[in-house]
Amino acid sequence: MKTSRGRALDGAVPRKRIGTSRRWHIFVFLAPATVLYTVFAIYPIVETLRLSLLVEVDGSNVFAGLGNYARLLTEPFWAEQFANAFWNNCILFLLHMLVQNPIALMLAAILSIPSLRGAAVYRTVFFLPTLLSVVVVGFIWQLILSPLWGITPDAMKAIGLGSWFRPWLGLESSALITITLISIWQYVGIPLMLFYAALLNIPEETVEAARIDGLNGFWIFWKVKLPLILPTLGLVTILTYIGNFTVSFDLIYSVQGGLAGPNFSTDVMGTFLFRSFFGFQSQSGDTHMGATVASALFFIILIGVGTYLFGVQRRLLRHEG
Amino acid sequence: MPWRKRTTTGQALSAAAIHGVLLAWCALALFPLYLVVINGAKSRRAIFNDPLKLPTSDTFSAKGYASVVGNSEFPLYFGNSLVVTSVSLLLILLLGAMAAHALSEYRFRGNTLLGLYLIVGIMVPIRLGTVALLELMVNLNLTNTLTALILVYTAQGLPVAIFIFTEFLRAVSREIKDSARIDGLSEYRIFFEVVIPLVRPVIATVAVFSMIPIWNDLWFPLILAPGQETRTVTLGVQQFIGQYTVDWGAVLAALSVAVLPVLVMYIIFSRHLIRGITAGAVKG
Amino acid sequence: MATLDLKGVSKQFDDTRVLDNINLNVADGELVVFVGPSGCGKSTLLRLIAGLEAVTTGDVSIGDRDVSHLPPSKRGIAMVFQSYALYPHKTVRGNLGFALKHAGAPAADIKRRVDAAAAILELEDLMDRLPRALSGGQRQRVAIGRAIVREPDVFLFDEPLSNLDAALRVHMRVEILKLHQRLGATMVYVTHDQTEAMTLADRIVVMRDGCIEQVGTPLELYRHPANRFVAGFIGSPAMNFLDAQVREGRVVLGDQPLHPCTRTDGPITLGIRPEHLVQDDDGPLSGGVEVFEHLGGEAFVHITLGENLKVVAKLDGEKVYRPGDTIRLSAPEERCHLFEHS
Repeated sequence: MKTSRGRALDGAVPRKRIGTSRRWHIFVFLAPATVLYTVFAIYPIVETLRLSLLVEVDGSNVFAGLGNYARLLTEPFWAEQFANAFWNNCILFLLHMLVQNPIALMLAAILSIPSLRGAAVYRTVFFLPTLLSVVVVGFIWQLILSPLWGITPDAMKAIGLGSWFRPWLGLESSALITITLISIWQYVGIPLMLFYAALLNIPEETVEAARIDGLNGFWIFWKVKLPLILPTLGLVTILTYIGNFTVSFDLIYSVQGGLAGPNFSTDVMGTFLFRSFFGFQSQSGDTHMGATVASALFFIILIGVGTYLFGVQRRLLRHEG
Repeated sequence: MPWRKRTTTGQALSAAAIHGVLLAWCALALFPLYLVVINGAKSRRAIFNDPLKLPTSDTFSAKGYASVVGNSEFPLYFGNSLVVTSVSLLLILLLGAMAAHALSEYRFRGNTLLGLYLIVGIMVPIRLGTVALLELMVNLNLTNTLTALILVYTAQGLPVAIFIFTEFLRAVSREIKDSARIDGLSEYRIFFEVVIPLVRPVIATVAVFSMIPIWNDLWFPLILAPGQETRTVTLGVQQFIGQYTVDWGAVLAALSVAVLPVLVMYIIFSRHLIRGITAGAVKG
Repeated sequence: MATLDLKGVSKQFDDTRVLDNINLNVADGELVVFVGPSGCGKSTLLRLIAGLEAVTTGDVSIGDRDVSHLPPSKRGIAMVFQSYALYPHKTVRGNLGFALKHAGAPAADIKRRVDAAAAILELEDLMDRLPRALSGGQRQRVAIGRAIVREPDVFLFDEPLSNLDAALRVHMRVEILKLHQRLGATMVYVTHDQTEAMTLADRIVVMRDGCIEQVGTPLELYRHPANRFVAGFIGSPAMNFLDAQVREGRVVLGDQPLHPCTRTDGPITLGIRPEHLVQDDDGPLSGGVEVFEHLGGEAFVHITLGENLKVVAKLDGEKVYRPGDTIRLSAPEERCHLFEHS
């Protein structure tokens, strides 16, 4: 007994003999991806965080602590833009949650009806706008909504609503909402696909059991399917949140330009970051303030992701289990 | 569905309503595309007079498409995008599959931690590092090169690819790899000859998911490679729109051409797409 | 063909010891079955023999070679997996010849051996199909064929029949037996199904919690199980276990004294197989019928002998009982097993 215990303890030695011969390829498989990803994704983010703590004095970088953040939050020039961009992002997020995701859920629910004919065709079409470059999407909608080209004004005239037409993209009061609706038009396909896949994953037996329990179409969806796809709802929420802070740049930049007009009414964190970094008109670019805006955005996203991972998802998983 | 067989009027009505909703959304999704494609092939006057009409023999004009194809820069942009997208895609698929294979197949210290590290990029967008990334590219002398874009897009695409591949590979039985080991294959040959054929069904999904954001990206071309020689199609079209606002036909044709490769990819692979999402993303 | 020897083999994953000091000698041409509940370490032991896992301590020898540190392909083994593990992108012929081709065998040699294996397993008509075009049974035959082609010293089977339906499983079991008789090869076979173990094995190795509980021929295990675990695992339906006492040199069940016994007084577990209980109007055991399962030729009668004393008896199907009927039973003394009380 004693000897067998003793051998168990120094057992690591023979194991290593095969182990070393097996180690190299693990390294070969993992190294390229890890190195590339570390150098061009993780390092830049960490370095950006570091840059946000520095200021440039006479051409050299000097540690400034949280000075840049203080500027961002208190100096009127920065603070006003930051508050405006952040607020617009909040509106963007809210509208996506209230409009895009319910539409996506509804369409996914309809698509997942087992007897539906042509589901594959609908699915393909619904995802189509998502594939398009925002440059293309932005331009198309600019044309459609343009008072010059006149598809919308003419169409509205034809149904007797001509006097209701406004150049929505050009008005401060409506530009953000219009942009949001365009974004929803384009990106509804993503939550739709996620919901759809989750709904397809629900076992047919579960639905049949509910039917035998006397539930019909709508109630099956509400009481059985919806609770089962709650984790996907959480995933969609966090993806909407992240996308809202990053991808929204592309659409706004291509439709309204870097100044996110009219009068910054469509300015979001992305366009704000772009201007801070590269400058615009008289304002020259500032690496450190750019890094600071990016870092602020990083923390905003981190808070969202953290909340999702530690709060929402855990509760959802418990619910599921 | 037994209830489907005894169709009553009420059910026919609700089926009609369902298809009504779906068709309405289809129209909404397709209408703008339709406008672009048909008007690209019309004369300027026709575009403005009757934007909704299909081109007739009177109004047809290939001038728009011709000016796009004939434009000396546009084929260049198109080529740039093709190079950037296909090389990035290749790297994402190859390196992603390799890493995912190692993570799902081998037991080694730090496996879970490395796995988490590699997919954290899904949640933290690489764009946040733009400031430092530009500095890095300047130092590496890579600004205004396609290489810069390829490196960044590969790094950006890896987390999702690794995530989907890992989920998929975990579900694949280990026995087939063990069997290959007994047959005397090296670990590398197991990857290329056994694992790669196994992951073929998800490759399409990962490819489409990785390709779309690369082809359509505006941010990194604008910041890392805005030069005339290295412009991608997306950036090119964006600039083109600014330059040629009078030449509507050309602009619309340019848009159609820019959309084409993604559409082709999507239509080829759309069947695999749902299977891929079901296999990967939902479990997350 | 060769012997297989395990000496003091242990395996540890991180902090868990999954195999502890396994010693076993398998004779040339012997078919040994590892059996035990899931998680007992039987599959890990097989993977250690194959070289898919490294031993933590101990030696594995095949023939007279210590193969403990050789890669799987150099050990002279072939393995048949539960999920068949066929290469989905290669035809049946491609799958059968793959290992040889990889090892650089001459084409004529490969063809001869592949055709021979195909003939043994009657795969000739399927040679150009892909695995997905085969049924489960056909896939398993290809997997076995792939092993035969390699002409290994030792065949390893890892629950090869678990994915097949019941009828096919019985059929393939016979096929494997025939194959063993025909090739006379050394085989190690892992299963959790005791019926498979009983019917296939020259010797059975019963495992639990990473240790060997008993090694012996099927009949030895059936007749003389070393402990209650082996007794309960071997035989179907499972052995009845009853809490009994030893009092003054006799086994006492409830208040009913049974046969004499040499153990010291105290609690004991009495084991009787269902097929050894006999309906006997003068028998010492009596109880009420709870459930009566008729299988045609025979019947399983679930009987309550007293509080916490329930047995299943396998009787011939001649007499039909109803729930509530009283039945008297006897158990031949030589068929009763006594185990330490647990």
